[in-house]
Amino acid sequence: MPPPEDSAQPRLAAGCRWGAEKENKTGSKPARVILYPEGALRLRDTGLLILERCDGQRTFGEIIAELQATFGDADPEKIRGDISQFLEQLRHKRIVDY
Amino acid sequence: MMIPNPLALIAEITHRCPLHCVYCSNPLELAAASSELTTEEWVDILQQAGKLGMLHAHFTGGEPLARPDLTELIAGARTAGLYTNLITSGIGLTEARLQELIDAGLDHIQISFQDSREEAANWIAGAKAHAHKLELSRIIRQHKIAFTVNLVVHRQNIDHLDEMIAFIEQLAPERMEIAHAQYYGWALRNRAALLPTRAQLEKAVEAVAVAEKRLAGRIRVDSVVPDYYARFPKACMGGWGRRLMLINPAGKVLPCHAAEVIPGLEFENVRHQTLEFIWNESSSFQRFRGEEWMPEPCRSCDQRTEDFGGCRCQALLLTGNATATDPACSLAPAHHIVEAALAEANSGAAVSQPVPAASFVQLQQRAANLWSYRTNPE
Repeated sequence: MPPPEDSAQPRLAAGCRWGAEKENKTGSKPARVILYPEGALRLRDTGLLILERCDGQRTFGEIIAELQATFGDADPEKIRGDISQFLEQLRHKRIVDY
Repeated sequence: MMIPNPLALIAEITHRCPLHCVYCSNPLELAAASSELTTEEWVDILQQAGKLGMLHAHFTGGEPLARPDLTELIAGARTAGLYTNLITSGIGLTEARLQELIDAGLDHIQISFQDSREEAANWIAGAKAHAHKLELSRIIRQHKIAFTVNLVVHRQNIDHLDEMIAFIEQLAPERMEIAHAQYYGWALRNRAALLPTRAQLEKAVEAVAVAEKRLAGRIRVDSVVPDYYARFPKACMGGWGRRLMLINPAGKVLPCHAAEVIPGLEFENVRHQTLEFIWNESSSFQRFRGEEWMPEPCRSCDQRTEDFGGCRCQALLLTGNATATDPACSLAPAHHIVEAALAEANSGAAVSQPVPAASFVQLQQRAANLWSYRTNPE
């Protein structure tokens, strides 16, 4: 399965949508989650930053550029590779389409 | 001990069902229609579930479409912030009703097929359901709703798994689940006729691997090796009292589908207690939560945080002792019981045909696909 093209517009796949965990007395901070048919993907940090941008509007190229700007200290090619791999994995699981 | 929030509610809204599958996972003793929770009671439960931090509501049965108020229940779940999944045979679902459910906020629909071959499928289900499901699948694909096709595999159909996967592929779901029959209830009674041979299983695992690769990015394939052939037991329900609550048609709250077989446990009813109390305080949910109850070899085993000692109901059904290590585990003292069943399955002796579930019993397998519950990509 190919990685996304720069012009692709990644979005959540059918049957997947955003949700939120509730506070719990265990004290762990509630995460934002993507709900899918039999589970939920808990998102924090970079995973959250990437998927918040998979809105079907932004292109893959724009998403990369935004995150490269946010993480100016990191190697831009490494950022591209990591995001590409992350989205490929989620497409495989039918959580993201592009 | 700190108790995490439950993640999902399995709402068994009725035990009524038009089908009679040989591997039906419903209890052998069913809740009568007259004792079913009302619409208002369910809507209140769904509100409680959302407040308790649950994320999903899985509507199942019996056949959930047998409840005329299903649309209101779906809407109630969405208002409570829950993701809604309908697990159905499709019997009783017209296009108009599907549209109504989608308008009410239904996120996902799952239909089980019994086989790719009509005659075999109808025989397993004890009803002429196959053609209707095919037609319904076509209708579902004309709507914007996520669709999973579930297929229960067993000794009688596993030899043509390739053909069944190709059959599902042309229905174009987002996801297919290849679920091996699990041996509880009717399936345990029919085990000799359902348990595949090792050679059958190996061929099936290969067929799934090939399909996964071919369908990657189009159809997600979920499949689990049947626990009788696995080295370690399944993490049943993601651990007892750890992720899931099941409410039966009469309001009884269970940690899993089969929990009522365990003697000595008393289950609370949502008509008398809140979900929060039942989750946090009830003796039934605490009974096998955590590690205190574990025997050896579980107690000192590295796997205990992965499989939680396996399935309590299977331990009870096979050994007579609900606190035993699940006999499916290769390290279990009672593993010889599972080995004996496997020896029989692999002996080459002719096996009997399965006996259909009693006529008033429902079909749906929804147990197999909810035994595991994922919150992270594997």
